[in-house]
Amino acid sequence: MPKRKLDPLPSTAFQILLSLIDGDLHGYAIMRQVAEQTDGRMRLGPGTLYSSIQTLLEAKLIDHVDSREDAKLGPERRRYYRITSAGLKLARSEAERLADLLRVARTKKILRGRYV
Amino acid sequence: MSEKIYAWLLSLYPSQFREAYGSEAMQLFRDRMRDEKSFFPRLRLWLDLIIDLAISIPREYRYSPAAPYAVSVRQGSYGVPVFHFIEGRSLRPGAILFGSALSCLALAIFWVFLSHAGNYVGLGIVTPGQFENDSNVFQSQSQPSDSPNSIRPTDRGEAFTLDVLERLRVIDAAVVILKKYYIDHENAQKMAEVLLAHEKNGDDDAAADGDAFAALLTRQMREVSPDRHLTLDYSPDLLPEHPDRESPEALARYNAVMKQQNCTFEKVEILPNNVGYLKLNSFPDPSACQSTAKAAMASLNGADAIIFDLRDNRGGEPAMVMLIAAYLFDHPEYMYNPRENTTEHSWTRSPVPGNSLADKPAYILTSHSTFSGAEHFSYDLKMLKRATLVGETTGGGAHSGVWHRIDDHFGMGIPETKPINPFSTTDWAEIGVQPNVKVKAAAALATAEKLAQDRLRKK
Repeated sequence: MPKRKLDPLPSTAFQILLSLIDGDLHGYAIMRQVAEQTDGRMRLGPGTLYSSIQTLLEAKLIDHVDSREDAKLGPERRRYYRITSAGLKLARSEAERLADLLRVARTKKILRGRYV
Repeated sequence: MSEKIYAWLLSLYPSQFREAYGSEAMQLFRDRMRDEKSFFPRLRLWLDLIIDLAISIPREYRYSPAAPYAVSVRQGSYGVPVFHFIEGRSLRPGAILFGSALSCLALAIFWVFLSHAGNYVGLGIVTPGQFENDSNVFQSQSQPSDSPNSIRPTDRGEAFTLDVLERLRVIDAAVVILKKYYIDHENAQKMAEVLLAHEKNGDDDAAADGDAFAALLTRQMREVSPDRHLTLDYSPDLLPEHPDRESPEALARYNAVMKQQNCTFEKVEILPNNVGYLKLNSFPDPSACQSTAKAAMASLNGADAIIFDLRDNRGGEPAMVMLIAAYLFDHPEYMYNPRENTTEHSWTRSPVPGNSLADKPAYILTSHSTFSGAEHFSYDLKMLKRATLVGETTGGGAHSGVWHRIDDHFGMGIPETKPINPFSTTDWAEIGVQPNVKVKAAAALATAEKLAQDRLRKK
């Protein structure tokens, strides 16, 4: 069986890691958070979401915390996920890699307007 | 139903994935179904799911651990039976190809559906026939807005800009409406082609504002056929999406206004020489004003002549035109109305019991403001030689047939009928009704009184 790859880190996995930085979330909350932080460009379907979660769990970049209710969504119990220290480290290094990339792009003057 | 479909789709995933995340995926699906209820979010949800399935199912099979081939028969979750499912085996290339082709087909169907869904035109939705109610035939937005019968747009204070997108939207909608509703299908096709050709050539770029653009498109359509009843109109105010008076609240509001204004019967009196005088400022809906109309006509029943003052009358309901005209005949009389097909309602319900005005001289006072339904009344009574028109040429409002709203600011008047005009080949559309005696509107009453007096003296 081929092993799921995280090098390079797929953008879906990176976005999921970023979504968990501010706290534990369940699947639907992760989907919404990712949609919000990408201005709606990335809407994770259940298959893609849980496939990525599975990959991140196997790599111990996130952890399954517990199952509990989300008061805003009703009485159903939901499984919550938390980013691990390894996940946080990987997210940080990925962000730095992208920042480096951005610096190179700037020096090549291919960017227009103001970019942060 | 949707849940069952998705539950079935979930069963396409490898069993390991279903066991680990099936219930969570189902929960997520339910959450999205609950939060994305309207048409487009729901459509997007299904598109997301199809794309998600197309991407994630092959991947999950690729990464799922190999298991001994097994065959199981069991009842699937969510009430969906699963038959003889072979677990843990990677999909054959042929199956992946088939799945991809199926996904492409589904996407293509969605695309076709989106392109043809209800003539969708951006933010405005063309709903031809919205104004098809006969009672609205006089109520195009070009009717001056102070008429009690006009549909008043609610000004939401949004600025209107005529950009390329808006122009394309209006032209596309006009083409659809023409092809669907215009009475002459061959000319409709030609007009549609002409509109599109002008647009393609950039001829419409010169139109600086809504009025100019509407006038330009009207001219372009009339290049094919000089039909005065075919118009494309612009309104700076927002056009209502639905006729106001269809709702009970709007009807109650209308009734209240009519009551307050005495159904626009401004003056009902007997002038010197026993000349009856009725100043009527609209032709209100008989459902609200029938009794007022009948009372007014009854109070003039003893007059030797009658003057209808329509100088401030901007139209209204054809039914009220017919109701009042009925008093001027002792037999059912055909009244031509360019906006309605000839039916039994095209004849007056004459004689009116107890009425003695049928043979009395009648005069109609007109002005440049006399419009639409008031012109219907004036034109027919003039053509039937039943009344003498005194005053100015009327406004020329014969917007024909059915009003089709295009968006917040544009609409079309489309002739969908070919009623019989026994009097002439033309009516009052745009040219107005010529009076028999041409005087300034301000002098019309005195002139008509004198005419009546002279006529009564000759008797």
